[in-house]
Amino acid sequence: MSKDLSKVRNIGISAHIDSGKTTLTERILFYTKRIHAIHEVRGKDGVGAKMDSMELEKERGITIQSAATYCSWKDIDINIIDTPGHVDFTVEVERALRVLDGAVLVLCSVGGVQSQSITVNRQMTRYNVPRIAFINKCDRTGANPEKVTRQLREKLELNAHLMQMPIGLESDLNGIVDLVTMKAFYYDGESGEDIRIDSIPANMLAEAEEKREALLEEVSMYSEELMEALLEGGEVDTDLVYDAVRKGTLALEFTPVLVGSAYKNKGVQSLLDAVESYLPCPTDVTNMALDLTEDEKEFAVTNDPKDPLIMLAFKLEDGRYGQLTYTRTYQGTLAKGDTIYNRRTGKKVKVGRLCRMHSNEMEEIDSCGSGDIVALFGIDCASGDTFTSDGISCSMTSMHIPEPVISLAVIPSDNKAQINMSKALNRFTKEDPTFKTFVDHETGETIISGMGELHLEVYIERMKREYGAVVEVGAPQVAYRETISQRGDFNYTHKKQTGGSGQFGRVSGYLEPLEEGEYEFVDSIVGGVIPREFIGSCDKGFKKSVEKGSLCGAPITGVRCVINDGAYHAVDSSDVAFQLAAIGGFKEGYLKAKPIIMEPIMKVAVEGPSEFQGSVMGSINQRRGMIIGTTEEGNYSVVEAEVPLSEMFGYSTTLRSLTQGKAEFTMEFATFKQVPKSVSEQLVKEYQDQRKNG
Amino acid sequence: MGNELIISNPLRALGLEEKTGGNAQAMMGLVMARAGLGKTAILVQFALDCMLLGNKVLHVSIGEGVDKTRSWYDDILSLLTDGEKLESIPEVMKNRMIMTFKENSFSKAKLEERLDDLVQQNIYKPECLIIDGYDFERNDKKSLEELRHFMNERGLKMIWFSAVSHRDDKRVSLDGVPAPCHEVDSLFDTVLLIKPEGDAMKLNILKCDSCAVDPGSILMLDPSTMLIKQG
Repeated sequence: MSKDLSKVRNIGISAHIDSGKTTLTERILFYTKRIHAIHEVRGKDGVGAKMDSMELEKERGITIQSAATYCSWKDIDINIIDTPGHVDFTVEVERALRVLDGAVLVLCSVGGVQSQSITVNRQMTRYNVPRIAFINKCDRTGANPEKVTRQLREKLELNAHLMQMPIGLESDLNGIVDLVTMKAFYYDGESGEDIRIDSIPANMLAEAEEKREALLEEVSMYSEELMEALLEGGEVDTDLVYDAVRKGTLALEFTPVLVGSAYKNKGVQSLLDAVESYLPCPTDVTNMALDLTEDEKEFAVTNDPKDPLIMLAFKLEDGRYGQLTYTRTYQGTLAKGDTIYNRRTGKKVKVGRLCRMHSNEMEEIDSCGSGDIVALFGIDCASGDTFTSDGISCSMTSMHIPEPVISLAVIPSDNKAQINMSKALNRFTKEDPTFKTFVDHETGETIISGMGELHLEVYIERMKREYGAVVEVGAPQVAYRETISQRGDFNYTHKKQTGGSGQFGRVSGYLEPLEEGEYEFVDSIVGGVIPREFIGSCDKGFKKSVEKGSLCGAPITGVRCVINDGAYHAVDSSDVAFQLAAIGGFKEGYLKAKPIIMEPIMKVAVEGPSEFQGSVMGSINQRRGMIIGTTEEGNYSVVEAEVPLSEMFGYSTTLRSLTQGKAEFTMEFATFKQVPKSVSEQLVKEYQDQRKNG
Repeated sequence: MGNELIISNPLRALGLEEKTGGNAQAMMGLVMARAGLGKTAILVQFALDCMLLGNKVLHVSIGEGVDKTRSWYDDILSLLTDGEKLESIPEVMKNRMIMTFKENSFSKAKLEERLDDLVQQNIYKPECLIIDGYDFERNDKKSLEELRHFMNERGLKMIWFSAVSHRDDKRVSLDGVPAPCHEVDSLFDTVLLIKPEGDAMKLNILKCDSCAVDPGSILMLDPSTMLIKQG
């Protein structure tokens, strides 16, 4: 691995779905001679691109998991992470951008800035990652790089400028004009591997000069020398221009835009030149760590291989032979056999094997250092853990993990499926922090939560394929409640005196609504009509009664049970007798207290472009939601509402299609409210049917 | 629960209660005061009055968020009702919607668009509108006229604005309405000015075309709560 960090680039390739990230990575690997044949993502040969190693990825033609690889271009070592474009797999982008120094934002020349482009751009900004934009698919009908560049400025608020012009567009795409060198580049050979440099076609020269002048004026802001050279007039040294663009890019104030078509083998090598020229090396980026010995005080890591080791685990893969932990080294050196410390658990671990990844292939290495991305084999840890050598105790801040937005209940088909499902869920939740699972203690269902329907679909399919666990899925049950709406009196005698030892107990009192709290028992007995030893039995009986209501079987809440009279028998009264008397009394009082069913109401906040606010409000209204308020912030607005949980199932899909995927929502529990009459009748009927059928 | 609320009924104090019924033209009112003297508190009392009379209120807040605006309602209602929160009075709660804008993103066009979204989809049809934080210095008389016209078209019964006056700006209209509203006071049916005088807080009625109270009359405010006092 390269010791000269200035010759290292750690980059991510991110974009909206189907922009061509994986195809682009395939070309990069080919031109850097890491692979010797190109295979298309959805190619007829069925092999699939190198970076889509999972069967499901090949079958569906989508990237599900991010994949790491490395290559060399001219004298630069490039570590690349190819990421998925679907928002469901956003954690892969999140973790990649956390550890990478630069990124290529790929856009389709027809689709332009799309919903996930906005999301990945936001993620890049979150981690202060300098980026280059690559407008791909310039061979497509309707390709319009100028329009896309404008969208980069307007929608993503980037100071984006074209560094190139395409020679021809759509099916006429032939080459690229580079506005820095003022040369035309053509990509000859069977797979575009032979670059031919020529002069700019005569009919493009005037436009190219005009665009170059505008570009130089813009980038001269980042270089005094360039500005002076421009003022002086005459030839401008291209190195000055490269330097100025690099400064602007690293400062996150400028975004170079390149064009091409990965599929048609045009522009990829120029993109690699741009990665070298404009994207940072590990020492160009300041990474901060928290000193655990000084109250988590921030300090900058040094990138020096001689300093103590600081390393961040950003991805796990639990395979057949153990766990593979992907790491980024920020400081120091790690060799095979070294002992390192997990700063979250405090445990010491010995590093058995170190590998560099080339998609799903491992290449063993003896050591790694600052700036490297490697995988550790056989070390048990969690995503986001920091490893250090002895002598330093610090933590790298972890990545942002978004909350799941959709849940499903999963029901294994048989006992074997249950066991395999548990194994599968344990593994998947460990690898993917946005995939969560729990058992609902009220309904007994196993619930899985994720970022979208595709996310959950993929895991259910993987459960079946990799663990043989066949499951059924359904909407999770809503946790209803029952309560009373008024006072209900009772006077109940439990009597079983048919000979021998019998049972007797009478309780009299009332139930009434409890303003705050779930349950309250009040003993207002006077004169010993119920002996003290049986007062607790009455409480027990009431508590058993509130576990399950008679309307829909939901727990009863918000009830005060008061006993103020009763009777006992000297021989036949007992703990059990008074429990049963209380249960009977409760039933009696409950029906008189006009019980109602309540449903959980969620506080929902939907954030998205203001143009969709009307549709969003309509969708909430259709779900029996009550809009509390709206907030406008520039082109974005937030709608806050209270919506029954039962109506929120599938909302993420609805919201995406209503807003072209540009809106997001969050949801948290707010309160319980009475269900409408129609819903109540349906729930009661369903419960009665369920009881009839056993 | 709404009927049981003991409320000072500021609309009745001004004789404007009938304005919330019938097909009369929208009544436009203005509450003015220096910064921090309780304009929002007065507007919220008017809004609560409207809500309790069964009218739907749209509270537009320019420069404040939804949560801040909500807490105004909770605080004032709590003072009026011995600790009750608005959320616990569902029939009143459903008569309120809050819409907030950043200062530089409010415009008549945007408000129109948002309101039409609500009305056309049958989500919410407000009868009373509160606009708290409208910038009278940046918007001219024409904009206000267009806003009034727009409100009439949409069948609003009552619209209340707030405006900040400045101690150093001595300009006033013939009716005594201070700047920055001195040139647009003809567009308002009611103009109220909050004025501290010693320990007391007064609500001067500078103009009240539809009131049962004469201009020049004064209502008193409780300085600790900014509630309009009875009688």
